[in-house]
Amino acid sequence: MTATDADAPLIERVKLGDVKAFEMLVVKYQRRIERLIGRMVRDVDLVPDIAQETFIRAYRAIPQFRGDSAFYTWLYRIAVNTAKKALVDLKRDPIVTESARAMRDDDDETSRVETELSHGETPEAMLASKEIATAVNASIEALSEDLRQAITLREIEGLSYEEIAEVMNCPIGTVRSRIFRAREAIALRLRPLLDTREGERW
Amino acid sequence: MSQWSESKLPPMESLSSLVDGELEASAVARACGQWRDDHETRAQWHAYHLIGDVLRSDDLATDGEHDAGFLAAFRQRLANEPVVLAPSAPSVRQAPIPVRRRSWATPMAVAAGFVAVAGVLVVTQMSGGLSLRGGQSQADLARASNVLGGTVVVAAGPASGAVASDPPVVVLNGQLIRDVRLDEYLAAHKKFGGSSAPGGPSGFLRNAAADGSAR
Repeated sequence: MTATDADAPLIERVKLGDVKAFEMLVVKYQRRIERLIGRMVRDVDLVPDIAQETFIRAYRAIPQFRGDSAFYTWLYRIAVNTAKKALVDLKRDPIVTESARAMRDDDDETSRVETELSHGETPEAMLASKEIATAVNASIEALSEDLRQAITLREIEGLSYEEIAEVMNCPIGTVRSRIFRAREAIALRLRPLLDTREGERW
Repeated sequence: MSQWSESKLPPMESLSSLVDGELEASAVARACGQWRDDHETRAQWHAYHLIGDVLRSDDLATDGEHDAGFLAAFRQRLANEPVVLAPSAPSVRQAPIPVRRRSWATPMAVAAGFVAVAGVLVVTQMSGGLSLRGGQSQADLARASNVLGGTVVVAAGPASGAVASDPPVVVLNGQLIRDVRLDEYLAAHKKFGGSSAPGGPSGFLRNAAADGSAR
């Protein structure tokens, strides 16, 4: 099993009519999709809307997804097309939001290649994001060597459990348990930062 | 492979395996159900993925508020969408093939059966009740039916039924019926009729076959 088909079980569930399984995929990819769209669309207020539209289109089209490419590759293409269409619509019918107006005062909109802000958030939110990144990296450092290696091989190198078992010379069950324990340890430090005001929202 | 029997894994460990696509198929439905029913599981699923994202790139760090809000808004939109239903491709792809094969096999079997039986009948009628040949050919037909498969059992019914009512028509003209397939059959067996069936009947058969091909 490779990283390519890691989403296959959930996609299978979606095709069986399990709408919630699609929500799980949304939670998984939403950050990456928003960052991608944020690089294409200057108007930060539009980023979440275009990301929503991307996921809705993906949901409608999922019967056509045959697993020839990775799910994320497929989703990425939908996001790019959705963002392009949004930009075209915007030129035809420009509804200028506050943040977009601020941006347009600075420079010409044709030069919008990328923006430093990934999600166009408030300074508060940016601070929170930074805290989260710091917390994750600090907890990784605090892990035992075995746990750190296991989760790094999985998340950064994208190896399967079987491949990690080979690299670490241990049974697959041990790999599974090490990755889980690493996540638990990091989540323990992370969750208080995530569950700020509305912990029950999930 | 004892590691794969994870149906007894603690719920959150199953969730962690599902994050990596390493949860056995039978446990996936349960993990999804858990996600649906338990907000703690949803929060943990988010945390696991956020950890992965941040490990790959710091700029993917977002506050939980934003992500939860995104999902809440998405749910509202998703609620207006018709539920997609597209069961797995392999099972869909496999099903029609035997059906399709059978759909043309049945008429073919009927046609083949009819031609064979009609041919045999002509031979037996004209040869004045050479019951041995008829019996043999019926045995051949039965054997052919077995080769063609179970559907032919159904096909054999109408074929033999047609044969039972047809003989008068066949003989009534005093000539051969004008079925092209029968002509072909007789043409193909022209030599055969002469050489392998000695005695009176073979003369008849030879004439009949010549008649058929002359037209």
